[in-house]
Amino acid sequence: MNKFVKSLGMVSTIALLAACNNGDGGAEEAGEQDETSTVEDNGGNGGNVNLAVWGSSPAETNALEETISSFEEETGIEVELEIIQDNFQDAMTARFAANNAPDVFYLEAFAAPMFIESGVLENISGEIDDVDDFFDPLIDVFRGGEDELYAVPKDYSTLALYVNEDLLEAAGYSTEDIPRDWDDLMAFADELQGDLEDNQAAMIFDQTLARHYSAFINNGLDPAGEEGSADFTSSPEAIEYFESIIEGKEAGYLQNPQIDMGIDSAGAAFGANRAAMMIEGNWVISALNQEYSDLNYAVLESPTINGEEQSMTFSVGYTVSRDAENREEAIAFINYMTNDGLQQWSELSGTLPPRESVADAMDLFDNPVLEPHVLAAEYGTVWSSGESLPVVASAFDNYFQAAVNGTMTVEEAMQAAEEEANAELDRR
Amino acid sequence: MRKKRSNNIQGLTFMTPATLTASLFIVVPIAYAFFMMFFNINLLSGTRTFIGFDNFRKIIGDPRFWAALRNTSTYVAVVVPIQTSIALILAALLNSKVKFNRAFLTVMFIPTLTSSSAMTLIFMWLFNNNGLVVNQLEQLTGMRIHFLTNPDLALSVIMIMNIFSTVPHFMVVFLSGLQDIPTNLYEAAAIDGATKIRQFFHVTIPQLMPILFYVITMGVVGTFQIFDQAFILSGGTGGPQNSTLTFTLYIYQLAFTSNDMGRATAMSFILGVIIFTFTAIINKVMKADEMNG
Repeated sequence: MNKFVKSLGMVSTIALLAACNNGDGGAEEAGEQDETSTVEDNGGNGGNVNLAVWGSSPAETNALEETISSFEEETGIEVELEIIQDNFQDAMTARFAANNAPDVFYLEAFAAPMFIESGVLENISGEIDDVDDFFDPLIDVFRGGEDELYAVPKDYSTLALYVNEDLLEAAGYSTEDIPRDWDDLMAFADELQGDLEDNQAAMIFDQTLARHYSAFINNGLDPAGEEGSADFTSSPEAIEYFESIIEGKEAGYLQNPQIDMGIDSAGAAFGANRAAMMIEGNWVISALNQEYSDLNYAVLESPTINGEEQSMTFSVGYTVSRDAENREEAIAFINYMTNDGLQQWSELSGTLPPRESVADAMDLFDNPVLEPHVLAAEYGTVWSSGESLPVVASAFDNYFQAAVNGTMTVEEAMQAAEEEANAELDRR
Repeated sequence: MRKKRSNNIQGLTFMTPATLTASLFIVVPIAYAFFMMFFNINLLSGTRTFIGFDNFRKIIGDPRFWAALRNTSTYVAVVVPIQTSIALILAALLNSKVKFNRAFLTVMFIPTLTSSSAMTLIFMWLFNNNGLVVNQLEQLTGMRIHFLTNPDLALSVIMIMNIFSTVPHFMVVFLSGLQDIPTNLYEAAAIDGATKIRQFFHVTIPQLMPILFYVITMGVVGTFQIFDQAFILSGGTGGPQNSTLTFTLYIYQLAFTSNDMGRATAMSFILGVIIFTFTAIINKVMKADEMNG
């Protein structure tokens, strides 16, 4: 009996503690609500909007917070910012499944077709100011089947060729010697490798489809273009391109930083003078300038393939979820962030502005490091295709590795990847 | 009678919080999964159509399912016996009067405390084509072995890593079991003329049976659910050529690459059945019920 009383005492203590906790939480919530309402009173036109973004660098988070404050000052609309550290796309899917989607959120071009086809995004055609000012490929990727608009780009990255001038000079070459065409570039890399030290690579390569999709496009093939089927094999020229990568890897003038060199990232290998060239996005610039500040490098446009300019573009936009509670505020927010507030955001975060006028205002076309990236916004292939792209890309990455290992020829690997992707698409 | 009732109330009161949490976060999701596996579901738009056993038919017809089955079974068959025997041997060594056995124990326990993602990155450094292991092996044998990109070897790197990180935990479990064995059993065996080795097989092992059952069961369950190492090593693709595709990675791909939650839950159900069957077999073979008695 004594035990029983004791345990009852404990249970009630726990219950009391829990109640206290609850009380605190309630008070806090009430406090928050008060705050919002006072802001509403002050701002006059008021309202609020919730925004979900992924967590990137502290610099970007600060930039976002500052641009948001400018927006709040100008409009009196309160923004509730939520930074999601998990796998963002999976988290958003779960939020939609739970009927708990934010009003506005980041949307990667890669995932856009899936969200658009599922019909969970708000059609915002005609509600965005000055749409023609955006670089066409960056915004077109967020359009649906009938040209209706579902998202607006906030920034983008493109690939360009980075050259380590110190290594090049030591080997007896200069930046002017670097050919623009891919095949000539490979021949140059082969030649350059002979003049480098043993632990240095002429060029770094990445073997995922995300970096090479434009090579297919330039050869007239969109592997995931047709809904429900994959095609890697119908362009012999594309296969030749991938064979040139395998050739380079076998001869040693193309190396993968993680697998062949044991270095975390391409930028680190390049910065540590272990590689003379790399094709990378503008995201490496801040690391190169901060961590490898004594490095001398130049940035050139991505090589031409099949005689045409190409690059890969990674575009991210703001989108509004369908039937969002604060639809008007959400659209006002997007309009501000991608127009009046765009320059502030781009300058603070170090990302590239998707509007040509802002790129002009920021003198990006005269910036030797950024110009090649900005030029690519016009001709780059945006990393996005149909709804099948995730499956198609996963199959490619799975099998192209076999070609890189030499266990399959490029043609066999492409065939196998195509079959696997098609089988999976049939099962959906 | 009264006492019994008050005991019951007491027990039920104590169980309520745990029961509520467990049913909310474990029982309800499992029940929902049972429901979902018969549907074709688009999680984003929330639409679903009943398709009966079609999800299972699709899984059986998918070569990647068989690749995952092959990889995971190989993985379990290799890792469980090795990790169990190494853990047992280390525990027996630590249990004998080795000097500094506390210090050894502390050092050896570190791998279990390291997060598996950090461990995977460390192993990727060791085993990459320019890493320590590859270079040392080249000096010794003159052969360059590409562990991470060779489909026949990629899985073995994950195996070594898993053994390395789970052995210490099981070793501690064995050690506590060993310390519970009464010394008079060994004395009796010694008087009967049993050597140290015979003592190990005829006294230690039978006495450790309940612990052994626990270690093997947890080992089987843990290895069937291998995910993070395979995910990081292959960048989520399960490549090269599906050689690191495990059951859980396959489930992840179904859910988030193919966006097919119905098929993912059906596959989870299959995995559940497989683990359940294996545990039941181990239970039968080792007669765990009787010894715990």
